[in-house]
Amino acid sequence: MSYELIGMSMFGGMLLMMLTGQRIFAAIGFVSAIAALFLWGNGGVQMPFSAAFKLFNWYPLLTLPLFIYMGYILSESGIADDLYHMFHVWFGGLKGGLAIGTIALMIVISAMNGLSVAGMAIGATIALPEMLKRGYDKIMITGVVQAGSSLGILIPPSVVLVLYGMIARQPVGKLWLAGAIPGLMMAGLFIIYIAVRCKLQPDLAPALSEEERNLSLSAKLQVLKAGITPFLIFFFMTGLFIMGVTSLVESSAVGATAATIAAIAKRRLNRKVIEATMRKTLGISCMFMWIILAALSFGAVFDGIGAVKSIESLFITNWNLTPWEVLIMMQLSYLLMGTFLDDTAMLVIVAPLYVPLVKVLGFDPVWYGVLYTITCQIAYMTPPFGYNLFLMRAMAPKEISLMDIYRSIIPFVLIMTLALVLVMVFPQIALWLPEYVYSR
Amino acid sequence: MPKFIISYVKYVDYVSTKFGRLSMYLIFLMIGTLLLGAITRNILNFPLSWTVEMAQFTITAYYILGGPYSMQMDDHVRMDLIYGLYSDKTKARIDVFTNIFLLVYLIVLLIGAISSTQYAIEYGQRKFSQWNPSMIPIKIIMTFGIFLMILQTISTFFKDLAKSMGASIT
Repeated sequence: MSYELIGMSMFGGMLLMMLTGQRIFAAIGFVSAIAALFLWGNGGVQMPFSAAFKLFNWYPLLTLPLFIYMGYILSESGIADDLYHMFHVWFGGLKGGLAIGTIALMIVISAMNGLSVAGMAIGATIALPEMLKRGYDKIMITGVVQAGSSLGILIPPSVVLVLYGMIARQPVGKLWLAGAIPGLMMAGLFIIYIAVRCKLQPDLAPALSEEERNLSLSAKLQVLKAGITPFLIFFFMTGLFIMGVTSLVESSAVGATAATIAAIAKRRLNRKVIEATMRKTLGISCMFMWIILAALSFGAVFDGIGAVKSIESLFITNWNLTPWEVLIMMQLSYLLMGTFLDDTAMLVIVAPLYVPLVKVLGFDPVWYGVLYTITCQIAYMTPPFGYNLFLMRAMAPKEISLMDIYRSIIPFVLIMTLALVLVMVFPQIALWLPEYVYSR
Repeated sequence: MPKFIISYVKYVDYVSTKFGRLSMYLIFLMIGTLLLGAITRNILNFPLSWTVEMAQFTITAYYILGGPYSMQMDDHVRMDLIYGLYSDKTKARIDVFTNIFLLVYLIVLLIGAISSTQYAIEYGQRKFSQWNPSMIPIKIIMTFGIFLMILQTISTFFKDLAKSMGASIT
């Protein structure tokens, strides 16, 4: 059996195992364990467990449970409610204002957290019910929450870029800065889309009633206070890290502490909140870590059969593609796989195959990190297996069906693809900020 | 279901829950250790070399010991493209079979864990760093956690088996 065939059947076996509905980590782990035993016999038996020490050495992953913890503290303790109220008051008068306000809310949440789960939870439980109550079109706003929350992994801090940084051996600070402008640009595109669409179809998003809008200026200024806490959290976490005061993992601990202190200051931290936060943090962290553990083992087997070399020779020697064609092929295959594969697993399995290729082709790995993250965002949202879709169904109000969720993402996926193309064609969108900061 | 199976499930679920609840608190240990490192270095100008490594050990114990509990709580995602369409009973029937794959993976993990722990004990393995901690404790914890994960998988298997026959063990 040739190595290419082994690689293909491993991939196929994994997909098949996943289709049975067994836990994702079990599907990946089983295929990697069997392949290791088949290829190297007794020598392969160590492989799945060695992955645990590779994981151990990837210490930046410490940011993962800490960001999850922080996200839950922010959503469970009601800090996010005040924030939502702020945007509600300030944007409510516009056509589609609450939807635009929700995108703004998501930008702020993204700046405090490195995952999309936090924004999703906050959007689905706070913003969605409010908008539904006011007669907003459910399909549009479902898309707004999903697209908005996906900004969490592009706007710094970002766990996906941490993972990418480990795989590509690039400084996380540079990667985070590179994600900032593309993230804001994408948010801007979302807002333009919502504004234009609501202008054309005003019945999608009725403006707030007179009495809800008629607040005194002092009352309006009063609610702005809600913005102070997120700003402080952002400063202590990402600010201190970029300034070089705290290391990456320390900064996430600082962020988690800052969020906890904010919750205490608002007198919202009680036994119930702490219990729920700890329980969910453990659950989600275990889910991610076990998938990464299995995927690292899978990746090690792939490495052992020289999969990088065979993909490289397939693209460059056999198909005779130019570097740009290879790049586009990689993004396309990524999107395609993203619709079938679990995203975390895809990250750990596929990224190590592609990143060396990017370097061989002479592209900037920092820039590719941003492309890669945008592709991840799209993959998170595309059916049948989008992690966001799955979470959305669990968290959204009952009247939003799975079909609504599927339909809601279409315009936003198109916008995100546009953003991806823009960053591909104009690399400076991503690279200007890190070059500016690091050249000083 | 025979009585010994019911008491097995009860006992294993109890132990998993206890260790899961215990590891829940490790998140605060991680935050605390990392914060301590940041504070002593920046404010007291006294850098500690061991804080990040300590947090690395903690996160490893966190997800391995928390694994069985998270499985009990059904926190692990599945691809429910087809699976999601079936009734609970059919889901349980499928799981009865596919749990065996999970078990195979965990057993291979356990074999690796045991031989790696034996090696660590035999040669007094230490982590190569300034702090230079022994690797034995974490490896024992990992081996135990994986073993507990196997026990939990068997318990889950029995629960699925019962459910597939229309009964339930709780």
